[in-house]
Amino acid sequence: MSFTLFTAAGCMRCNIAKKFMREKNVAFQEHDAVGEGKERFGQFYRTHRSIVVRGKEGIEFPVLADGDLVRQGVAAVIAYLHSGTGLDGFIGRNELSKGWVGGINVSAGDPAAVNELAAVLGFVKKNGLKLQLDTDGRNASVLEHLLGLGLGNRVVMDLKGPQALYAIMVGRETDPVEIGRSMELTARFPEYRFETTVAPVQRPEGVPGNVSYLTPEEIAETASWLKEATGSHRQPYLLRFFNPQAHSDDRFRSVERLAPNALFRYRTAARKYQVLTEIEASSA
Amino acid sequence: MTYPSVYPSGVTIYDPARCWNGYTVFQGKEVGALLIDMNGGEVQLWKELHGMPNRILPGGHLIGSTGERSTAFGSQDGIDLVQVDWDGNIVWRFNQYEFIEDPGEEPQWMARQHHDYQREGNPAGYYAPGLEPLTDRGKTMILSHKNVKNPAICDKPLLDDTIIEVAWEGDVLWEWVCSEHFEELGFREDAKNLLFRNPNWLKSGGGAGDWMHINSMSLLGPNRWFDAGDGRFHPDNIIWCARESNITAIVEKRTGRIVWRLGPNYDETAELRRLGWIIGQHHSHMIPRGLPGEGNILIFDNGGWAGYGSPNPGSPTGFRNALRDYSRVLEIDPVSLKVIWQYTPVEAGLPFPVDANRFYSPFISSAQRLPNGNTLITEGSGGRIIEVTAGHEIVWEYISPYWGKMMKINMIYRAYRLPYAWVPQVETPQERAIERIDVTRFRVPGAAPGGARRVVNVAGVLPYRPDAALCVRTDVGDDTSKQA
Repeated sequence: MSFTLFTAAGCMRCNIAKKFMREKNVAFQEHDAVGEGKERFGQFYRTHRSIVVRGKEGIEFPVLADGDLVRQGVAAVIAYLHSGTGLDGFIGRNELSKGWVGGINVSAGDPAAVNELAAVLGFVKKNGLKLQLDTDGRNASVLEHLLGLGLGNRVVMDLKGPQALYAIMVGRETDPVEIGRSMELTARFPEYRFETTVAPVQRPEGVPGNVSYLTPEEIAETASWLKEATGSHRQPYLLRFFNPQAHSDDRFRSVERLAPNALFRYRTAARKYQVLTEIEASSA
Repeated sequence: MTYPSVYPSGVTIYDPARCWNGYTVFQGKEVGALLIDMNGGEVQLWKELHGMPNRILPGGHLIGSTGERSTAFGSQDGIDLVQVDWDGNIVWRFNQYEFIEDPGEEPQWMARQHHDYQREGNPAGYYAPGLEPLTDRGKTMILSHKNVKNPAICDKPLLDDTIIEVAWEGDVLWEWVCSEHFEELGFREDAKNLLFRNPNWLKSGGGAGDWMHINSMSLLGPNRWFDAGDGRFHPDNIIWCARESNITAIVEKRTGRIVWRLGPNYDETAELRRLGWIIGQHHSHMIPRGLPGEGNILIFDNGGWAGYGSPNPGSPTGFRNALRDYSRVLEIDPVSLKVIWQYTPVEAGLPFPVDANRFYSPFISSAQRLPNGNTLITEGSGGRIIEVTAGHEIVWEYISPYWGKMMKINMIYRAYRLPYAWVPQVETPQERAIERIDVTRFRVPGAAPGGARRVVNVAGVLPYRPDAALCVRTDVGDDTSKQA
């Protein structure tokens, strides 16, 4: 079996992927997508346009093709070479550059595969890239394992909302104790921040279609929970706008976007418990 | 700036018939918020209540601040903004803009307010008929500070100016951050280059660039321009000015965009060249509806030193490259940029330019249009407040007697005149005219009276010439291109 690897001349991430493949004796055919393999990659891209993502800085390399299966980005490529599809939940699309690798969602993979995940991340980090981990609080044990190994230069915890709504916001059962444990672990990484998207929620007691945004009081509860879990009222905490157009669920796509100044009231509410709370600039 | 060592303080000129009589409030240096009557009688002192500025609201309430952040960590950060009643009780307070933990200081919330604020109902912050500020409710616009990083401006930390709208209950409802509008400010490449290297660097708090130093902020309020369909002058829009950049601008409240701007360059159109280079200005605001000149922009154009640009002999690096040693008060039509009224050394009757610097405050200062067409001018650095008529005659003058012990200056940041009716707690004071003293005959005790004891005549002497030459030119024009 031979893989096809599209690279770009001078691409550090491509070199890391190739190094992994050589160390593991993985056969592959390399094509320089901006040099001799430009035409070949053009054909490949036209065929796989829906899979190969073009970000703000262009297409990220390396891109690995295994028949119809495609993986893009150094972590995703190495994860696939190491474990097949076993780490797919953990490793998603990277949107970071300048020495950082992101798209590593600690909460979305199978915790039984933690050692494989650690091996992949360890290889990437050992070769000079910094790792950003994302978590929504689930899989606290995975986060703890990575913390113990020093894997994770930065953690961004997506704090979905207050305890009472957490499972609804995540879309599956959650354990408040585990979520709190993740908050506490997150605050132990070298760099970290907590974020909450002020999102609409399907109210449990409501009639179907009763969808409304988290309230300032609920954000205050969330901030209070963060304070309780971490023992600090000065965590870096960012409130973000919800983008209805980017949501896959029709119930939420039809929700009106919050007004540009709407988050100020939420910030005031959160600052009762987290004094460093900030809000993202509105892109509206 | 030839100040004598000894001169009177308090009210020195007062013509009740030609003044717009009322109380005047200002921050006495290291004393507190002081309310005086037209004869300089000190009606009430809110002792050690800070204020940048202090303002009286109807009912005898006063707005100020309980203190400033240590200058080791910040610059001109007011801890809070408070409204106190006649007896000094705090009836409203805002401080929850930023939680500050300065080393060795008690962690606390701070408003970081500086230079200005406006209470709903009263767009420009001073008396205008029918535009009274709310006293028991309403929003407050506050000019504040925020530390930011913005590599498009400079690779160093910046002390940025923000404008926030705060509900009576304390919620921040709206925020405008100056640095986010850098590209709308009209800086030329030489200015951008210099700003990157030296954004007016301050050492406090580990260092930050006070790159704009916005020093006034007010609302436009209802005005004829908007009524005529010019959306730039929407009553909710906000006008501010920044001393370090020589910019006055109007921000559209709805979008945050800068929709009208004066400066930083005054050489790009014929209108701007006629206006002349405005330097380090303060208190740029739209004269509120109901006052003579309503809709025009009133500016205390300090002169002094400010701006970023190309080097010149007075500014070897281009930092603060605009220089002038006298001040001007300008009333400008914001559409044509024509000067409608002005008070400069010329109108003050000072030989120009040789004695122009006798009307000069290189920092602070303000101008307030009064209902009878007079203008109350705070020539701040010398602690002087004057009321001048539309015909430029001084009908009231006050010199602050409060020199600071820590800083030996009797400066007044900004004074405001207000109606007697806004302070119902006291009887309207008696107004006693003060005849102008003939300074040629005025002597302090122990000084000899004027007049030579003996006069001799010298044959053949000529009379003094009215057009006597001095060592420098005294004609106003300095444009040599017109002399060809």
